[in-house]
Amino acid sequence: MISRLWRGPLAMAALTLFGLLAALLGQTEGWWIVSWIALSIPLAMIAVRWARS
Amino acid sequence: MTARGLKVWYRVHKWTSLACTLFLLVLCLTGLPLIFKDEIGVWSGTTVLPPEMAADTPLTSVDRMVEDARRRRPGDKVMYVSRSDDQPAWFVGMGKTVNAPEPTAVFKYDARTAEMINDVPQRQGIMFTIRALHVDLFSGLPGTLFVGAVGLCFVAAMVSGVVLYAPFMRKLAFGTIRERGRRRARWLDLHNFLGIVLTAWLLVVSATGIINTLTIPLLGVWKRTELADMTAAWRGQPPIETPGSAQAAADTAKAAVPEMDVAFVGYPGGLFSTPHHFMVFMRGDSALTSRLLKPVMIDAETGKLTDSRNLPWYLTAILVAKPLHFGDYGGLPLKIIWVLLDLATIVVLVSGLQLWLGRGRTPVEAKIAELEGLAS
Repeated sequence: MISRLWRGPLAMAALTLFGLLAALLGQTEGWWIVSWIALSIPLAMIAVRWARS
Repeated sequence: MTARGLKVWYRVHKWTSLACTLFLLVLCLTGLPLIFKDEIGVWSGTTVLPPEMAADTPLTSVDRMVEDARRRRPGDKVMYVSRSDDQPAWFVGMGKTVNAPEPTAVFKYDARTAEMINDVPQRQGIMFTIRALHVDLFSGLPGTLFVGAVGLCFVAAMVSGVVLYAPFMRKLAFGTIRERGRRRARWLDLHNFLGIVLTAWLLVVSATGIINTLTIPLLGVWKRTELADMTAAWRGQPPIETPGSAQAAADTAKAAVPEMDVAFVGYPGGLFSTPHHFMVFMRGDSALTSRLLKPVMIDAETGKLTDSRNLPWYLTAILVAKPLHFGDYGGLPLKIIWVLLDLATIVVLVSGLQLWLGRGRTPVEAKIAELEGLAS
């Protein structure tokens, strides 16, 4: 069981690694779009927190 | 974590961060324009694109381009021809000698008409300066290895930062950036939040950057071992004065490895060939395999295939590391994402510096207690 403390960071790391590999290993441009979405989520998270602060 | 362990990790984080922060700021700032080097090249006129033509326009022989380059620089030797990976274009590199460390000129040709479309500027312009600052701090190989050491320091700072994340964030929800309270607490929240969100990307970009700094030493290892083995039978022989057709060599290599395309043809006597062979480097056509190379040796007199081997794992690692460092493998949106991640990294560095500058003259235990207090 992953502690509450690490759930967010691990989710961000998983999305990032998935996004990085999707564009590199994917055989179609569809994987590029998947990659952009996956890598945009951590950035969106940063933008939302930044805006709120 | 014990108090002693916390103190040790705090010190590791502090000193590894301080050792590399200023250099990392230089790398982050110079890295920003490098992400868009292709677009900047087109915009500034240093990169010229071949004109639009029908997609099925046939390609012409690369030998015509080589002949034209020889006419333009009769005193120089052809070092290599290389194919653009995203345009119908070839580059012909000319040097004072075929094995010169740097070309004197690189001509870009339209692959369909053999028309010279650009005399590519060598070692000049703002982008050359920015790249030199990013790659080797204007110091050649020692500078490149120093940049690699900075990267190692940064990896240590990130690992220690992740270890310290738990004790400092255990009482706060993920992503908390407190609106009220002390200014220093907000800097700490920002540093912790951005740092932990960016950790995976930063580890990948740092690790691949470190691998890139080892390119020249590892190429040297390959040349002394596998390449030396491939070329041993021709060592010491006088070079061929008039090598045969580069197009024929490329065609032979393509026939030998039909699932790959020609990326680069090294001329006989060059840095990656023998005095008697063209060395043709082939690349695949998928996102990943287009980054990988396979050398094929072609006899420059007979035009026949001599040898072909896969690159060793360490050179393959370098080739795979490059796109993951540059972010140039997923179209313009990926480049924009790379820029935003780079900018967020600058905020992590500045916030870390701000926390350090705002410290008092207090013992390390008191600083940890203060930071733990801020985190609660």
